[in-house]
Amino acid sequence: MAARERVAIVGVGYSTIGRRTGLTLDHLTAQASVAAMADAGIGSRDIDGVAVHSFPHQYVGATPTADLLGIPDLAYYSGSVDGAAYSVAAMHGYSAVASGSCHTCITIRTVHQAGAAGGVIPMQALAASGPRQFLYPYGSFTGAHWAGMYMRRHMHEYGTTEEHFGHFAMAQRDYASRNPDALFRDPLTMEDYLSSRYVTKPLHLLDCDYPVDSSSALIFTTEERARDMAKKPVFIDASAAGTTDVNDFHLVEDMTHSSPWRAARTMWSRTDLTPADVQVAGLYDGFTFIAMQWLEALGFCGEGESGPFVAEGNTRPGGIIPTNTDGGACNVGRRHGANFYIEVTRQLRGECGDRQVPGARVGVVSNAVGGFAGCALLTAD
Amino acid sequence: MNAAEGSDPQPVLPAPDELTRFFWDGAGRGRLMAQRCSACGRYQHPPRPVCPACHSFSLEPAEMSGRAVLYSWTVGSQAFHPWFESRLPYLLAVVELEEQRNLRLVTNLVEVEEADVEIGMPLEVTFEHLAPGVDLPVFRPAGVR
Repeated sequence: MAARERVAIVGVGYSTIGRRTGLTLDHLTAQASVAAMADAGIGSRDIDGVAVHSFPHQYVGATPTADLLGIPDLAYYSGSVDGAAYSVAAMHGYSAVASGSCHTCITIRTVHQAGAAGGVIPMQALAASGPRQFLYPYGSFTGAHWAGMYMRRHMHEYGTTEEHFGHFAMAQRDYASRNPDALFRDPLTMEDYLSSRYVTKPLHLLDCDYPVDSSSALIFTTEERARDMAKKPVFIDASAAGTTDVNDFHLVEDMTHSSPWRAARTMWSRTDLTPADVQVAGLYDGFTFIAMQWLEALGFCGEGESGPFVAEGNTRPGGIIPTNTDGGACNVGRRHGANFYIEVTRQLRGECGDRQVPGARVGVVSNAVGGFAGCALLTAD
Repeated sequence: MNAAEGSDPQPVLPAPDELTRFFWDGAGRGRLMAQRCSACGRYQHPPRPVCPACHSFSLEPAEMSGRAVLYSWTVGSQAFHPWFESRLPYLLAVVELEEQRNLRLVTNLVEVEEADVEIGMPLEVTFEHLAPGVDLPVFRPAGVR
């Protein structure tokens, strides 16, 4: 289906980021949105769409957000709680502008540190209902519990080692050391990685993203409007979601080929670009292995080969595909996918200072794993 | 993360509903149950109101053999609930039942040391008594008894 409008990202912004900032969800949302509008050089009256993705227990509504920001009239809005984190808001914003449902859509992901793993873990819970009755009694409470099993399965099928995951963590920490906004900037050694405690062996603490309070906002608009805004437009060349037959992350048919493979296949079917054209990647690292599954799914390395691929330095500066140049969510803190869209946008604008990928014009971004995923190809003229 | 003062940590108990009661009732009688579609014969777990393959709403409880193979596993190394503090490390697993390809459930591995766990190993169901009337289907290496 051809899009009616070519869609551009024209503004990006973050809130205050940190552990227990004391700021409300609305406050964080407003900070990020105001920053994104300032970046685009527009005001709230220039916006007619809002797409927010949030957790049910940390709900941020789209229409209340319009009120919060002084957006007078929404032609399109979406408040979603289901699926692949920020990429859902991006998918809604992109689709709304491409279809003409609105002309300029602000897309938002706001998270509070507590309970950001997808639900407040009921430490004192004595009973588990719904799908949790088949998980909690066995001690599967968090994403880390399925993540350890995804890693173990990859190790079994392909000979991947804990050190391979460590190489990915080290490579993105090196980028973080060049990002003044990263929360972790000291170099990481393999010894540091391997000696970080196990959460769900083989998953180490340093495989996990860092929970923070954060809000991220990106503004999507039409090409015609984008040309009149403050920053160089970054275009969405292709976008796709993907899901698996079985929604429960524990029970997906193939842990080493979950939803990223489906989203990637659909995305590549919608573009003339190929993996060889991509110069920079922002791949979701809620856990390190997720970014590595994306490296395979997107075709940057062979099936099952992400371990040796990262160990050889191919995601580092000058490598085949510089990846997570902001340091990833392990180092900048959990933005639930939005940081990849923002960082790659900044890369394609040439704003990334010491960590800039020279001459980057094509980038890829991705979000989530398991039951649902989303990805997009971004380009600059 | 401690339970209320002066009391021992209690397990997280399943809260059965109309859809899932047969599974837990079966477990209480030492049987591993799954939902079977009366129309097309497909098994599914966890229970749902409809068969996603043929869209029949006629679904019946069926007893499984309890034989399975290990699909993947991890070691619970950190307690996210007080009950698990004294049980660390515990073995969390996804197993595939022999009745149907991809018919899987989340469970614990018992009666096996971490060093002896291997993906693909044959397993059999056994039951852990959690509370009066509440038994948890868990899996151990096949043929150890």
